[in-house]
Amino acid sequence: MSAYVEVTDLRRRFDVSKPWLNRVIEREPRKFLTAVDRVDFAIEKGETFAIVGESGSGKSTVARMVVGLLPPSAGEVTITGVSMTDPRQAAARRRLRARIQMIFQDPYASMNPRWRVGKIIAEPIRAFALIQGEGAIRARVSELLGLVGLHADDARKYPHEFSGGQRQRVAIARALASQAEFLVGDEPTSALDVSVQAQILNLMRDLQDRLGLTYLFISHNLAVVRHMATRVGVMYLGRLVEVTTAKDLFAAPRHPYTRMLLDAVPDLAHVGRARVPVSGEIPNPIDPPPGCTFHPRCPLANDRCRAEVPALLDGVACHAVQEGRA
Amino acid sequence: MTEKILSVRDLTVAFDTRRGPLTAIDRVSFDIHRGEILGVVGESGAGKSVTGSAVIGLIDRPGRIAGGEIHLRGERIDNLSPEAMRRVRGRRIGMIFQDPLTSLDPLFRVGDQLVETLRTHTDLSAKAARTRAIDLLAEVGIPAPERRIDGYPHEFSGGMRQRVVIALALAAEPELIIADEPTTALDVSVQAQIITLLKRLCREHGTAVMLVTHDMGVIAEAADRVAVMYAGRVAEIGPVASVITKPHHPYAAGLMGAIPTLSQEADRLSQIPGAMPRLTAIPQGCAFNPRCPKVFARCRVERPEPIPVEASRVACHLYDAAERAV
Ligand SMILES: Nc1ncnc2c1ncn2[C@@H]1O[C@H](COP(=O)(O)OP(=O)(O)OP(=O)(O)O)[C@@H](O)[C@H]1O
Ligand SMILES: Nc1ncnc2c1ncn2[C@@H]1O[C@H](COP(=O)(O)OP(=O)(O)O)[C@@H](O)[C@H]1O
Ligand code: SF4
Ligand code: SF4
Ligand SMILES: [Mg+2]
Ligand SMILES: [Mg+2]
Repeated sequence: MSAYVEVTDLRRRFDVSKPWLNRVIEREPRKFLTAVDRVDFAIEKGETFAIVGESGSGKSTVARMVVGLLPPSAGEVTITGVSMTDPRQAAARRRLRARIQMIFQDPYASMNPRWRVGKIIAEPIRAFALIQGEGAIRARVSELLGLVGLHADDARKYPHEFSGGQRQRVAIARALASQAEFLVGDEPTSALDVSVQAQILNLMRDLQDRLGLTYLFISHNLAVVRHMATRVGVMYLGRLVEVTTAKDLFAAPRHPYTRMLLDAVPDLAHVGRARVPVSGEIPNPIDPPPGCTFHPRCPLANDRCRAEVPALLDGVACHAVQEGRA
Repeated sequence: MTEKILSVRDLTVAFDTRRGPLTAIDRVSFDIHRGEILGVVGESGAGKSVTGSAVIGLIDRPGRIAGGEIHLRGERIDNLSPEAMRRVRGRRIGMIFQDPLTSLDPLFRVGDQLVETLRTHTDLSAKAARTRAIDLLAEVGIPAPERRIDGYPHEFSGGMRQRVVIALALAAEPELIIADEPTTALDVSVQAQIITLLKRLCREHGTAVMLVTHDMGVIAEAADRVAVMYAGRVAEIGPVASVITKPHHPYAAGLMGAIPTLSQEADRLSQIPGAMPRLTAIPQGCAFNPRCPKVFARCRVERPEPIPVEASRVACHLYDAAERAV
């Protein structure tokens, strides 16, 4: 049995070269940035798989490839066995599209500000011709508004009349409008205040329980990930460095980067605690270090690390772990 | 008791609008002592930044200080002339903002900016100022400062730029530093470095710091005392461990429960219904009363004044001796 979502050897390069003329004049070669490199993971139906990592690690790029918003440079994503890239499966993919929805950090950017909320939520219903008849559509919109904790009357308002948290509820209602079963959230609560974030996280978990949703949850916030995820993938400079259950990741992190990150997060339980700060910063992704890209910051780095990229084996991509010296 | 550096009493800030004045800060009082970090937390719009701006005399029209007093080491500074206040800023009060580029001029080398600040506020010669600038860069952890001093801001990473800003803020050895979301734009691993740096410098120089942030984790880690703001008022102020682990005010308690943590697993986050009111619709009596699980009749008519509770001060009728007797 294959998993609900399967991501195999996913890669994405971006061309970040200067314009042709500048390159010729300055005698510069083309430049590429590898935003995602050899990423593999699977998501089971009904679970929440989280990807966590610092800015620029490639989380959003993975998310966009998974939902088919961005073509991969190599590798494959299949959802319920349907390839998101294979042209021969275009028809099956079209049927699948309605069931996959994305929620963004800034819901306002993804809404037409001149449309009333009722029309915004009904859009996927109309686009995929899921329900016929205006009355039936309106009833479904009311039902969806109720589901996300808004009032049926809110359908008449415009997006700007809502607070950030309420707009995120509208975005979730719209995502669910097409009977979506797989939601990809890219930092869905990062722009919200903590009390509002709690409301949205609780809502997402309630909806998952009630509707059996599967989530791909992207966040840079480890505490939020711990709260939401069943399994977690940690990204660093475009690679997955550790993939395991949320329980194991937070109880016994194995990759040196994961350990460092967990140690660096300021946490309420750390009142007054002095920590050993992490050394260094994330290197420039255009010119990443050879071998294990974490080696300039890693206390366990040796010559092999500087030369050889560690493969993800048994959920960890680290020579020291594999050699039993971590 | 150590020396009181900053004393804010009944500070009130209003913004004049077409529909009349809106009170953004409503009778806020707090002190910061020598070598102490006071964290100021609250959700967006609570009034944290306006409070910081008032202390440094940077409230711009249509805003104005409508009441109260601000004293720096016993000397009243809220009624100084703009000219006199400019001298206080920079020399006696240093500033660090979220975006380092608000403090750094992209067109000038960082060294020139440091030297200029040093020469404006101290009587160092040009040569001595340059030596001091290199020392400052070394002190904030810039590697190879004698070389980096001639770099431009864009040649520094985000974390390194924020270090330069801290060097600038410290240049004139101010008595007080106002840091408004200094780590919010940084990656967690770099955030930890900046917080550690700020704590160390503050301890070594005896500088008082007002650390404004919406991130409770940062506060837990860095602050000695913390003020929780809500709708332009201080709900609770007290020692950091007490406010975080045993908050008294119902809003502070709700806020702490809403924050997911790394150390404990919870199925649901505690949730405060609703959102913070707009300035145009601050409720009568206690500003938190429509969202408060413990609200009672008096809360809707009478504004609670801060009352000493253990080592904290709490603005809530529940702690009034008259109510407790019932
Ligand atoms: N269209 C693009 N063109 C060039 N580079 C890109 C493009 N999109 C992303 N990148 C680069 O790819 C890398 C990964 O970006 P991505 O947006 O996936 O990161 P992220 O993990 O989502 O970060 P954040 O936490 O800041 O959202 C970054 O170095 C980014 O600058
Ligand atoms: N220039 C301004 N004009 C009108 N209202 C303002 C202005 N600046 C801030 N405010 C209001 O003052 C309140 C407090 O703002 P602020 O101190 O920036 O909040 P915080 O920093 O806690 O997020 C908010 O309601 C905000 O909208
Ligand atoms: S492979 Fe080497 S450098 Fe990379 S994380 Fe493991 S020990 Fe550190
Ligand atoms: S004064 Fe009343 S409404 Fe306000 S926080 Fe206390 S109990 Fe709640
Ligand atoms: Mg992103
Ligand atoms: Mg602010």
